[in-house]
Amino acid sequence: MATKASNLRGWIWASPFLIGLALFTLLPAALSIAYSFTDYSLLDPPVFVGLDNYREMLADPALGRATLNTILFCLFNVTIGTILSVAIALLLEQRLPFSALARLIVFLPTLVPIVAGSLGWMWVLNADQGILNRALAFLHLPTPNWLGDARFALPAIIIVSLWSIGSAIVIAGAAIRDVPAALYEAALIDGAGPLRRLRHITLPMITPALTLNIIMSLIWSTQAFAAPLIMTRGGPQNATLTYAMHVYNNAFVFGRMGYACALAWVQFLATAILVALALKILTSLSHARPLR
Amino acid sequence: MPPIGPIIDRSRRAAIGALAAGAAAFAFWPSTPRSRRDIPHGRTVLSYWEKWTGPEGEAIQRVVDAFNSSQDRIYVQRLAVSDQNSKALVAIGGGDPPDLAGLFSYSVPQYAESGAAIPFDQLGLDPGPGFFTPAIERVLRHQGRLFAAPNTSYSLALYYNLDHFEEAGLAPPTSLESLADTAVALTRRAPDRSIDRVGFLPSLPWWWYYLWPVYADGLLYDDSSPDAPTAPIDSDACVRAFEWVASFPKRLGLADVRTFADRFARSYHNAGDPFLSGRCSMAFQGPWLANFARVYAPTLRFGVIPMPHAAGLPDPLQPRGLVECDVIIIPRGCPHPEEAAEFVRFTLRQDIQESLCRDHFKSSPLASLSPTFLSTHPHPGIAAFEAVARSPRVSVLPRTRVWKNYSELLLPAYDAIWAGADVRSVLSPLAARLRILIDRQQDIARRRSNGD
Amino acid sequence: MKPFAATRSASTLLTLLTLAVAVGFAMPLLAMLIASVQPTNRLGKPLFDHDRPILAAQSWLDLLRDAAANYQNVLSSPIADFPLYLKNSLVVSFLASAAMTLSSAAVAFALARLNWKGRDAVFALVLASLVIPFPVVMAPLYLVFRNLGWIGTLLPLWAPACFGGAFSIFLLRQFFLSIPKELDEAARLDGCSEFSLFTRVILPISAPALAVTAILQFVASWNDFLSPLLFVNHQDLYTVALGLHMFQSQHGGAEWNSTMAATLIAIVPVLILFALAHRSVQDGIATQGLNS
Repeated sequence: MATKASNLRGWIWASPFLIGLALFTLLPAALSIAYSFTDYSLLDPPVFVGLDNYREMLADPALGRATLNTILFCLFNVTIGTILSVAIALLLEQRLPFSALARLIVFLPTLVPIVAGSLGWMWVLNADQGILNRALAFLHLPTPNWLGDARFALPAIIIVSLWSIGSAIVIAGAAIRDVPAALYEAALIDGAGPLRRLRHITLPMITPALTLNIIMSLIWSTQAFAAPLIMTRGGPQNATLTYAMHVYNNAFVFGRMGYACALAWVQFLATAILVALALKILTSLSHARPLR
Repeated sequence: MPPIGPIIDRSRRAAIGALAAGAAAFAFWPSTPRSRRDIPHGRTVLSYWEKWTGPEGEAIQRVVDAFNSSQDRIYVQRLAVSDQNSKALVAIGGGDPPDLAGLFSYSVPQYAESGAAIPFDQLGLDPGPGFFTPAIERVLRHQGRLFAAPNTSYSLALYYNLDHFEEAGLAPPTSLESLADTAVALTRRAPDRSIDRVGFLPSLPWWWYYLWPVYADGLLYDDSSPDAPTAPIDSDACVRAFEWVASFPKRLGLADVRTFADRFARSYHNAGDPFLSGRCSMAFQGPWLANFARVYAPTLRFGVIPMPHAAGLPDPLQPRGLVECDVIIIPRGCPHPEEAAEFVRFTLRQDIQESLCRDHFKSSPLASLSPTFLSTHPHPGIAAFEAVARSPRVSVLPRTRVWKNYSELLLPAYDAIWAGADVRSVLSPLAARLRILIDRQQDIARRRSNGD
Repeated sequence: MKPFAATRSASTLLTLLTLAVAVGFAMPLLAMLIASVQPTNRLGKPLFDHDRPILAAQSWLDLLRDAAANYQNVLSSPIADFPLYLKNSLVVSFLASAAMTLSSAAVAFALARLNWKGRDAVFALVLASLVIPFPVVMAPLYLVFRNLGWIGTLLPLWAPACFGGAFSIFLLRQFFLSIPKELDEAARLDGCSEFSLFTRVILPISAPALAVTAILQFVASWNDFLSPLLFVNHQDLYTVALGLHMFQSQHGGAEWNSTMAATLIAIVPVLILFALAHRSVQDGIATQGLNS
């Protein structure tokens, strides 16, 4: 069917995306490889330093901390986020009073600009006047200095990012609605209780949607840095310094663009491997599980 | 039912359309930004990025206003910028710099080395050696050339609460060691053993965590041999200073000290400030604290002395300390370097410098003082700050472009020390890491100057 | 999924849980709203208490006066020109939204309605580009924009949208695939060219999907924080998100009530948009979850 002329026209129609990809993704990515072998401050011309930047990573204690923080952030954000989003989606699909209103409210935070959301949470988490500590004090529970205490700062940032799981809830909710009612009716006839229906029908049926949620959340979590940049600047004691923030600091604060590029490439490879692994595990899970 | 759906849809679509049209009209309606509205016609407009806001911003604005009305050719426009170091770096690197940038002095070596700031001699702006105090000369010059003008400078001193000292029958401390003893003696606890008032805490506020070594004659950065500078942060003197810091949580209880300090996390320079509210008897602070005391604690009786240094140091009568300086630079590639130089020349006038210092409650960066500067200065303790700023033993921040990175690395080390870790075993790996950074920096600079 | 709520008590319990979820997600927004209308000396207190009884008319007048004062303070702040930032954000969001929708539609048209060699490879590329983390390219992307002469303008914030975006292309492709093929045949028989097939047939039918794409891109551009942070240096070009960050992180910090008022100014426009179009926005998000 496809003639030479129609092939050419296809490429022309698709060209905006291809040009954009080349200009704003592939070109910077290639530049980034080149600069990763140089010392480059943005202000003076780059100087070739070979593998020095990569070698330096091994001796950078802040990098170790940033990597650990990013792994912890990913781990908790992805697992808690997935469990919460499925649980809330299930709850909101029960067609109870207020379900429709709750669906709206739960989605609202995803529309809030990340700066605004972070500032709002800084106020909520404020040690003296914040609403959270006031509530905890009312219940006679300890009132930590959330963002000022190295033990609580990263958990606080995770709570903030869990606030905007609305998209994941909407996707999971749509998948739950799409499960054919006939499956449930058959299960009811078999006498399956709600938990068994959840385990054997709902979860397997929504696995593809969940896979997408998990992958998106994973990719997003590995790049997190706007919220900690605004709320804690990576502190206290580097407790909220994330990998991407370390890249940003080196490139735009310390003036070490070359090192930042090397860091970024290692991050890209690590993310790609992580996503590929997650994809593999998740797809094998969804194939292994029979529908009924 | 069916007809209702589309009707709602249509009215909603109409609403969105109307809103979008209104918003688009607002967005694309040509109008002048507020910042450009007051500019008199026909003048060259200089954009001047400055971090100061609030009363300090108003003080610098008075200088700008004075300049703008002193002539009719140039109009300086001050724009408040936060993150100014990073913004200026990126703007200059991107070839889109402002005409004047207010920075912290630690940026001078980086901007000078990479040619991002125009050296003042090229603009006929260098007032010659001896115009500034010796410490300020060191801060503003790089390899002998002047790259920045001071925009107020400060040192730090010890404020003490006269009522607390009289009530306890104590005299102000004379050494670091006696300061710690006095601090413990002045600390008061509530019935539940939590700290109610503290004599002194190095972490109230924590902002100058890096400069304790100077009070034991420890060097943060040793560039006495310019080709092989080092950062001997694990020297005996530095270890001694940080052990002194660590003695506070050790003697007063880490948990108690933390709980106490956490309460002041966001309350400095207002009514809740630990010193101004009488919750701490001594505070290591800058000159501006007296300005805030005037507003928030007008009845507070306090004295100011140079921060005492460790016992047994040579030349004990000379105060130790650190002079820091806020600076103005003229970025390379800015649209109006000549006009910017005109403004800087104006700010360098002794009367302008001194009035700005007075407005900020600070000591003067200039070598010569006008006869009435000290006697008419609004800060009751200005003599202590002048003594530190003019002491031959005073230090300045490391003159290296790795300082920003250095200070970021020192912060977690300081926190670990505060939490009780062994001082030397925290500082040694840091020193090793700094050696890599500094050697690398030296190597790159050498290769760059060799045209590699 | 069939309701868990088989019994009345279970249904009550789940309704309460739904309300709790809604309140939990709305809480930070409410805390922000309350702080934004309070004077500094009442921060952290409830809107009404014994000092300010809810039944007294004076309390309400005070509340209005304080709210007006806070918002007035922000809008006329000497260090931040929020009306200008709103204008910049609107310009960027409008341009990005229009550019993104048109360019993505063209690419999606090629991917969904045309037969050509390389189509599947390009589609795979679209999906793969979703995985490349922004921090990897952000540092060298700055250099690309510098060489294009875009630093010092708003172009870095909207011009890349002219080249389509993976998510928009994906969303529109899904929609275009659902349009019956017969339409194309009929149009071609009428002598329609590919271009007029696109503009006269496909685009008009797809108005709802185009609207969703446009709205989502508008929100994304409005909320974007990293691009302005990295690529915009001049105060006159700040967007609301960046202006908000700069306002809050100014030397010496800003009062909580002004910060929260500024935050709400940044949020309200997207909330209005959402209030008018929440159905289609949520449907658009849910489309992500459909496995093709």
